[in-house]
Amino acid sequence: MKIGQAVKMAAKSIFANKARSALTMLGIIIGLAAVIVLVSYAQGQNLAMEKLYSSMGTNKITVYAYTWNGSNNVSQALYDYCLNLSDQVVGFSPNGNVYSQPTIKYGSKTLAPASHSSGGAVIVGGTAMSTGGENNYPSIYLGNEQYGMCNDYTIANGRDLSYLDVKNGNQVCVLGAATAEYLFNFANPIDQTITINGLPFRVVGVYAYKGDPSSAPANPEDTNSWVDQVISQMDQMILLPSTMTRYFNNNQPIDQYVVKVRSSEDLRPVITSLKTFLSGIIDPNSGSFGVNSDDVYKEQQGDATAMQQRFLGGIAAISLLVGGIGIMNIMLVTVTERTREIGIRKAIGAERSSIIVQFLIEAAMICGIGGLFGIGVGYVGTLILGKLSFNTILIPSPGITAGAALISVALGVIFGMYPAIKASGLQPVVALRAD
Amino acid sequence: MLIEIKDIYKIYNEGKESEVRALDGVSLQIDQGEFVAIIGASGSGKSTLMNILGCLDIATYGTYILNGTDVTDRSDRQLAHIRNREIGFIFQGYNLIPALTAYENVELPLIYQGVSIFQREEMVLHALERVGMADRWKHKPSEMSGGQQQRVAIARAIATRPPIIMADEPTGALDSKTGRHVLEILHALNQEGTTIILITHDNGIAATARRIVRISDGRIVADGTREEVGL
Repeated sequence: MKIGQAVKMAAKSIFANKARSALTMLGIIIGLAAVIVLVSYAQGQNLAMEKLYSSMGTNKITVYAYTWNGSNNVSQALYDYCLNLSDQVVGFSPNGNVYSQPTIKYGSKTLAPASHSSGGAVIVGGTAMSTGGENNYPSIYLGNEQYGMCNDYTIANGRDLSYLDVKNGNQVCVLGAATAEYLFNFANPIDQTITINGLPFRVVGVYAYKGDPSSAPANPEDTNSWVDQVISQMDQMILLPSTMTRYFNNNQPIDQYVVKVRSSEDLRPVITSLKTFLSGIIDPNSGSFGVNSDDVYKEQQGDATAMQQRFLGGIAAISLLVGGIGIMNIMLVTVTERTREIGIRKAIGAERSSIIVQFLIEAAMICGIGGLFGIGVGYVGTLILGKLSFNTILIPSPGITAGAALISVALGVIFGMYPAIKASGLQPVVALRAD
Repeated sequence: MLIEIKDIYKIYNEGKESEVRALDGVSLQIDQGEFVAIIGASGSGKSTLMNILGCLDIATYGTYILNGTDVTDRSDRQLAHIRNREIGFIFQGYNLIPALTAYENVELPLIYQGVSIFQREEMVLHALERVGMADRWKHKPSEMSGGQQQRVAIARAIATRPPIIMADEPTGALDSKTGRHVLEILHALNQEGTTIILITHDNGIAATARRIVRISDGRIVADGTREEVGL
């Protein structure tokens, strides 16, 4: 018997028993959709983390160095040391933060922390971002002309801080895109002057948006995705020359630095060199230090995500297996129910192989059709979940889809095998006697 | 000699207390073109005999020579081939596949034989015409009367034009009028040279056969014409 005939026979049999076929397919549909949605969800989470880390700046090392006597020597020493590593290090900047939340004004617009100041700071990979207070209140950073480069900010308008701004202590600032938009709307902020705690600062430049300004709602906490929230908060910032520290934080020296290396391979050697160097100049009795990298943290995070992915994949695989056993069950029932039919087919000359092929194709077709529906449901589910959890269009990878489809047909063949072999082995006279 | 069986035994639970000898040393020869009725009470072993003659079952002991070749120890595959080409079956319960139409049921043995789709159409329609069911080709078994179903079953049996037709109580489930009609078809086929082996417990139907074999307790007790057997 030809395969084409077997396919036709199988199709006839499937359509002659619509309810039974549909119920069998349901198992496969649910199993497959679960696999696709869960694995895609894990992948979506990976993508979101990737997006977050690349927004925060890649190949970046955060250094924390502090001495009790508050000498500024550490900063200079670090700067000089980084210059020596110039074939690995491409940027260095102080990474200070104004903790006191001063009032910021431009014309009639005022940015002040809300009195209830609900939240503290959320720490993501060592970078502190204010989430409390008024939603538009920016973080104020203290850095040098390489701060923007180190943190992957690009200038959209005007210029970045310059070496002389830092050296001479010029009262200038660079605004994050969201802060500039809030204070100036559509007016050009360049060469306008804002005040921070009454001190005038001239705006020299505006950074480009890191997040997507069109999708960012006025209140960032309205976004569904915390990743989008964090990224849009990166656009709410003001950068001042690091020498401005004398006006803020009770004139405490800056104890955080950011070092940008050339490539990810340079991360670990530079971290080791910096640790060795800092342990040489900071006496543990009179200070402390730490060297960290988001990228190293990201690798660990990647491991955790991979584990989660395996876990979700495992759950999904179990649901597929249950679906497969459902198929075997229904095929067994089918065979028992159709023993007489098998007897008739054998009596009129069907070979054993023809019967096996017919039942196998029937099982494979049920699983294949169920698989197609399962993929459809999985795609829709993934799209919905992607929109809800990541606020993005999430599409299952073709690899996962193809794999899932293959598995569903394989399940049909594997689980259809046993009843088919069982049915085909019957003596025609025995099979004919069945009711 | 078309069919020759020698010392055929069919024994269930051999050697045990519950041993049953369905066939107890049966030898029989049937020539091409014969119309043989095998009669006997229920449980006499006549159906077992037909199953073995039709290669639907395997004898415990004995030899079976069909058309000059020994088919006693043939493989499952070879037996399927013999059933497909050499023998057409007609059963008491029609044994049509419920999900298939009359056309598809008749087509089935041709599909297993590997006949091309174009040839099949002609052969199926010819077989259906032969039994007067060509206009019902689209109907499923559940949409037909018992007589109609049996006619479709006959069409299926003759579709491959086998030299032998075995009919197991073909009229058993039919009223006498349709039963007679089915019998007429069998006789017409016999006229054209097909060997017919008819199993029945109805003496009136058996009486239409030229040769009658009476079986009792697994043994042949009489074999001959109507007069010789004593019907």
